[in-house]
Amino acid sequence: MIDDKLLNLILLCIPLSLVSFGGGQTIVASLQHETVDVLHLLSGPQFTDLYAISRAAPGPGTLIVALIGWEVNGLLGAVLATLAIFIPSSILLCILGSYWQRHRRSAWAIAAEKGLAPVAVGLIFAGVFAVAQSARFTPLEMATSLGAIAVLMTTKTGPYPLLGFVGVSYFLLSLAGMA
Amino acid sequence: MDKPVGDIGMERDENVTSLALLASFLRLGASSFGGGMAGWTHREIVERRGWLTDDEFLKTLTVAQVMPGANPVNLAVYIGLKLRGVAGACIALFGMVLPAFAVILAMSFIYQQLRSHPEAQAVLRGLACVGIASSLTMGIKTARRLKANALPILMALAVFLMVGVLRWPLVAVVAGSIPVSVAATFWIEREKSRD
Repeated sequence: MIDDKLLNLILLCIPLSLVSFGGGQTIVASLQHETVDVLHLLSGPQFTDLYAISRAAPGPGTLIVALIGWEVNGLLGAVLATLAIFIPSSILLCILGSYWQRHRRSAWAIAAEKGLAPVAVGLIFAGVFAVAQSARFTPLEMATSLGAIAVLMTTKTGPYPLLGFVGVSYFLLSLAGMA
Repeated sequence: MDKPVGDIGMERDENVTSLALLASFLRLGASSFGGGMAGWTHREIVERRGWLTDDEFLKTLTVAQVMPGANPVNLAVYIGLKLRGVAGACIALFGMVLPAFAVILAMSFIYQQLRSHPEAQAVLRGLACVGIASSLTMGIKTARRLKANALPILMALAVFLMVGVLRWPLVAVVAGSIPVSVAATFWIEREKSRD
C-alpha cells in the first residue's frame, strides 16, 4: 500500500531528480532537511545512519533514497523511491540529449556546461553542512573526519580502504567501551 | 523519439541484441564499486563490444555529465538510447541500477537487524565520518576547477548559504541560480574572447 509517507517521499524525489546536476551529493542537503525536519519520515540520527550506509555502498550516491524508501515502506518504498529518483532525469536525458549533442559547440551550451559547476559546488558543501550539523559529532568523530579529509586530499587512497579501517577501528573502540 | 540517432551520424545497430545490452550493463552495474565508471563503461562499450567509436563515446559522455542525474547512470541510459532507442535506454537503466540496488537492500536488511547493537552504532558513526570527509573532498576538488573569477566563487557561496544555512527549498534555488550562473559564464567567456 502506498501511504501518505511514501507518497510524500516520491513527490520529494521527482523534482530532485530533475535538478540533481552532478549526481547524489548535490541533493543530500534537501533530502536531509525534507525527510527529517519537514516530512518527519526519519529522525536525525536515522538519517545519519542511512547516509553512512549509502556512502559505503556501491553504485550512485543517489541510492540513499532506496534506503529512505525501505525505512518508510519496506521493499515497495525502496523500489518506488529508486524509480522516482532515476526515471524523471532519464526521461529528460532521452528528450534533450540529442538536442544538446547537436548544439554542444554553441556559446550558450559551453556556458551552460561551465555554469553548472559553481551551483554543484555550492550544493555539495550545503549537503556536507546539513549532514554534519544533524550528526552532532563528538570530538573523536570530528577528529576522524578531519583525519579522513587529510588522507583523501593528500594521498591517492580511495574512500574504501578508509571506510574499512575506520569501521574496524570504531568496532574495536566500541568493544573497549571508548566510542 | 522513435529515431533518436538518425541525424547525428550514429546509426542504430541492429546487431546489438537486448540480451547483450542487458548483460553489458548488468556487468557495469555490478562493477560500480568506487568510481571511474566512465573508464569502465568505455572499456565495455567501446573496447570490448565495439558498439561505439571513441569519438561517439566522448560526445555521449559530455551529454551524460551536463544533464541532471547520476553521471554513470546517465551515461548508460544515453548509450542504451543510441544503440536501441527507448527500449535500450530502459534496459540500460535497469541493468545499471539493479546490482547496486540489490546490495543496498541487503545492507538495509542488515542495518535493521543490527541497529540496536551499540557496536553497530559505533561502526556507522565511523562510516558517517568517512562519508562526510569524502563528500567534502569531492566538493573541494570540484571547487578547485572553478575559474579563478569572483563570479563563479560568489555563485557557489550564495548557493551554499541559501540551501545549506538558510534551508531554502533546493529545487527553487537551483532553478533560480542556474540561469544566473550560465548567463554570468556566458558573459565572462565573451569578455575573455574579446581580449
